[in-house]
Amino acid sequence: MIDRRLLTNIDWMLACLVLAICLLGILNIYSATTSYKIIGSPFYIKQIYWMTFGIGIALVLCTIDYHLLEDFSFWMYGFILVLLVAVLIFGRRSMGATRWLNLGLFNVQPSELMKLVIIITFARFFNNYHSAGGMSVKDVLPPLGILAVPVILIMKQPDLGTATLVALIAISMMFYVGLRWSTVVSFVLVTIPMFWVGWTYFLHPYQKNRVLDFINPERSRLGSGYHIIQSKIAVGSGGLAGKGFIKGTQTQLRFLPEQHTDFAFSVFAEEWGFVGCLVLIVIYLSLVLWGLNIARRCNDRFGSLLAMGVTAMLFWHIVINMGMVIGMFPVVGVPMPFFSYGGTSMITSMVGIGILQNISMRRFMF
Amino acid sequence: MQDEREKWARTRIIIIGTFFGLLFLAVTGQAFKLQILQHEDMLKKADRQHQRIVQLTPVRGTIMDRNGNKLAVSLEMDSCFAEPRSIQDIEGTAAVLAPFLATTPKELVKKLNSSKNFVWLERRLTPERAAPIKNLKLRGIGFAPEPKRYYPNMEVAAHVIGFTGLDPAGLEGIELKYDSTIIGNTGYMVTERDALGRNIALKNSVVKNSSPGKNLVLTLDMTIQHIVERELAKAVTESQAKGGMALVMESDTGKILALANYPTFNPNSFAQHTHAQLRNKTVADSFEPGSTFKIFVIAAALEEKLVNPSEVFNCENGVYKIADRIIHDDHPHPRLSVSEIIKYSSNIGSAKIGFKLGEERLSRYLRNFGFGERTGIDLPGEAQGSLKKRWYGIDLATTSFGQGVSLSTVQLASAVSSIANGGLLMKPYLVERILDDTGQEVQKIEPQVLRRVISAETAQKVTRMMETVTGEGGTGTKAAVEGFRVAGKTGTAQKVDPLTRSYSPSKRVGSFVGFVPANKPKLTIAVIIDEPQGVKYGGVVAAPAFHGIALNSLAYLKIMPSGDLIKAPKVTELKANNTSPGEAAVIEAMAEGDALDALSPGDVAMPDFRGMSMRRVLQVMEKRKINIKLIGSGRAMEQHPSPGQAIRGTGEVWVKFAPSA
Repeated sequence: MIDRRLLTNIDWMLACLVLAICLLGILNIYSATTSYKIIGSPFYIKQIYWMTFGIGIALVLCTIDYHLLEDFSFWMYGFILVLLVAVLIFGRRSMGATRWLNLGLFNVQPSELMKLVIIITFARFFNNYHSAGGMSVKDVLPPLGILAVPVILIMKQPDLGTATLVALIAISMMFYVGLRWSTVVSFVLVTIPMFWVGWTYFLHPYQKNRVLDFINPERSRLGSGYHIIQSKIAVGSGGLAGKGFIKGTQTQLRFLPEQHTDFAFSVFAEEWGFVGCLVLIVIYLSLVLWGLNIARRCNDRFGSLLAMGVTAMLFWHIVINMGMVIGMFPVVGVPMPFFSYGGTSMITSMVGIGILQNISMRRFMF
Repeated sequence: MQDEREKWARTRIIIIGTFFGLLFLAVTGQAFKLQILQHEDMLKKADRQHQRIVQLTPVRGTIMDRNGNKLAVSLEMDSCFAEPRSIQDIEGTAAVLAPFLATTPKELVKKLNSSKNFVWLERRLTPERAAPIKNLKLRGIGFAPEPKRYYPNMEVAAHVIGFTGLDPAGLEGIELKYDSTIIGNTGYMVTERDALGRNIALKNSVVKNSSPGKNLVLTLDMTIQHIVERELAKAVTESQAKGGMALVMESDTGKILALANYPTFNPNSFAQHTHAQLRNKTVADSFEPGSTFKIFVIAAALEEKLVNPSEVFNCENGVYKIADRIIHDDHPHPRLSVSEIIKYSSNIGSAKIGFKLGEERLSRYLRNFGFGERTGIDLPGEAQGSLKKRWYGIDLATTSFGQGVSLSTVQLASAVSSIANGGLLMKPYLVERILDDTGQEVQKIEPQVLRRVISAETAQKVTRMMETVTGEGGTGTKAAVEGFRVAGKTGTAQKVDPLTRSYSPSKRVGSFVGFVPANKPKLTIAVIIDEPQGVKYGGVVAAPAFHGIALNSLAYLKIMPSGDLIKAPKVTELKANNTSPGEAAVIEAMAEGDALDALSPGDVAMPDFRGMSMRRVLQVMEKRKINIKLIGSGRAMEQHPSPGQAIRGTGEVWVKFAPSA
């Protein structure tokens, strides 16, 4: 199945960028968790395991021609929907939300898998779609239906962050396919009342609080606004050059919340300063632009859509996390791909990279 | 068609890429704003969160006398504090800790349960007490260095030095006056704490910005201070007085060598004393001088050449009517010369001289002598005294013998010093040098002439008159020091009863002020006895203390009757067989002394001083050029080395005196 020509076409740029972020991430997790009392392996060691495991999965994915995904896309979509329903019925509760499903050997988070599956499903859906001048309002309704079912199920968990991300990924892909101006305008006109309805009837108090805290962090200094204030202080106190590795006071003295997971970037910003931030942002931007480049040069429509979807997924994670950490977006619990500690995020992102690599490697085949 | 669509797809990728890029740029912009533009603000917020600042007591400089004896020192103490949030087992910690502190486990538990992040448990523990607690290495218990002010000489010079409160500020005396000089920079202890308020790394607490204060060298001489306090206490006790004040000043410079109040207090536990005891009355209180004031009136008249010392005044046999008032003399005389007016302290004579001067001139001279204005001594709370602005009827007469005016002991002493030193009013002062914490001199305070009050010639004349006071028949014979010429004046003033605002029938202030040696004045000494019982005359209650102070101070300072100092003591040989007991033999030996000087300096033998008066001993010292430490007063009782022994190599040479039976 593996073709020798494929090896010569390995996308080293993609691999190097991802590896660079992973290594910076491990270094950062090491610093962020030095003040922790840990039983068992330290977090950075575990992250190395997850990274290795993720790279393994990505490599395996490369060997399978991505076109096979097209055939299974709707099956996968259906399967994840079933899991999402199962989560609502049998799920494990943790931190006020039910996101995990115990499959005996390990726990899975079906909402996380949905990010990937929605990409494949949409790529499959739009592959056979042909329309001149972009999608009309009527054209948009079926994909929106496909999107709405999982998004509503995920919001029910409740997991606003993931639901938003799934929606953003799907909408980015729809934009890539092409939208008429009339469609965009009607979309906006419909969305605003929907937000109002969602705010009034669907959002949980904690979610409302997060949004309100974002708008005015002083509202609850010690409540959920604490996260934003502390993160801003940590980032801001880093200054131009930062406080140095393992010298971030806010990190080491644990004023920073969830510093090895969602707020890992704050740790980095505090200890390496604006210079460090710039370096990390440039690497991430390169990764995203490289992803778009893969989408651009891909010869088949399914592959290009897939690459765009994966790139959008990475992009929205990165921007929402960074924005949250520096007080631009509300705290939504979105990890930084490859950088934050966490197996689920690492595997999902690595699967995405596997798909991108797969597409990039096969760009000359046809 | 296909190409068209591909082209559009590519355009959209560029649009999406641009959009992604712009969002990245927005994030970068926000990071720039936080990390560069708002950096200072955020850093401050961060520091406020993780640093706890505990203010420490600044270290005060040392105060010492002119010979370097320490009068006030700062001892390094350890203050014990707790970080309640860092303590897990409060009961256990309290149980272990309580025996080491002056508290009970119960009290300690209460403190440790405080909601505060930081509580003092006990401040200023001695290092000996702190060490075992440090060894316990209890979590959440720490130490901060804090100095404690200590006065090693207890009561000695307490009123001069003053004291500090529990916080490091000076509250009285030099401690207050020179507070800003002595006090060091307030240090801060900066400790780091985490989000839960627990202190991180107690051992690494940094003390910032702490620097010790400057040291002061006073003009005070501890030995003279001792002498003055002893003599004053004796005088007050013997006359069963309410209290007393005494002051020794260098006549030429205004340097204060000793300043004492009785009763005194222990500055180490000043809180146990009453306000009256803490008050430095020598400087802060004014009183009516009485007859001591006459010397200034006569000095003014002599300076104005209105009288000469031998001019005779009709002293009316002790009763003199002026307007509606009658003035009395305690010792009635028909006629007295100006000199005798001083000697016998005639109110009538003095009043008549006052009339000769007139209101304007007398007032001008008295102000020139420094009355009615502060001397500017470097002690807090100085009294101004009072000198009437407008004089009515009898005021001129009463002022001339020291009634209706008031002055402080310091004013009196500096005015008398101006007569002693030939007419210059010196500013009295206590701090001679300011040293930094390494002992380097930062500032030296030189004697300061305020003004010339009278001519040297007039001063000389007044001095001669004042000498008659301690001479045969004078009012102050008890002040005389054998072998020395002593100038002085007695004073006995009625006290104004603050309730009736009129003179109290029984309360008096007895005083004696003067200087020695009169031929070459070195020391101005003032002794004031407040409300003595029994015989109340200054010549009886205060003059003996003057005598004691003068005698011992002169001996200690090695001032010879000539007024010269025994300089460059050189031990010369004395024949061993020349040391037979008895004064006569020694004097004889002294007579031969000049001849002996030619002999080569070998083993010098100690003369037998036993039974000699201090004056004799001084004479022998001068003759023999032996440097001997004189202890006590009276007649020589003990000596070291014993008679006939070699002086060289035996260490200190001393003679102890005791009052003869």
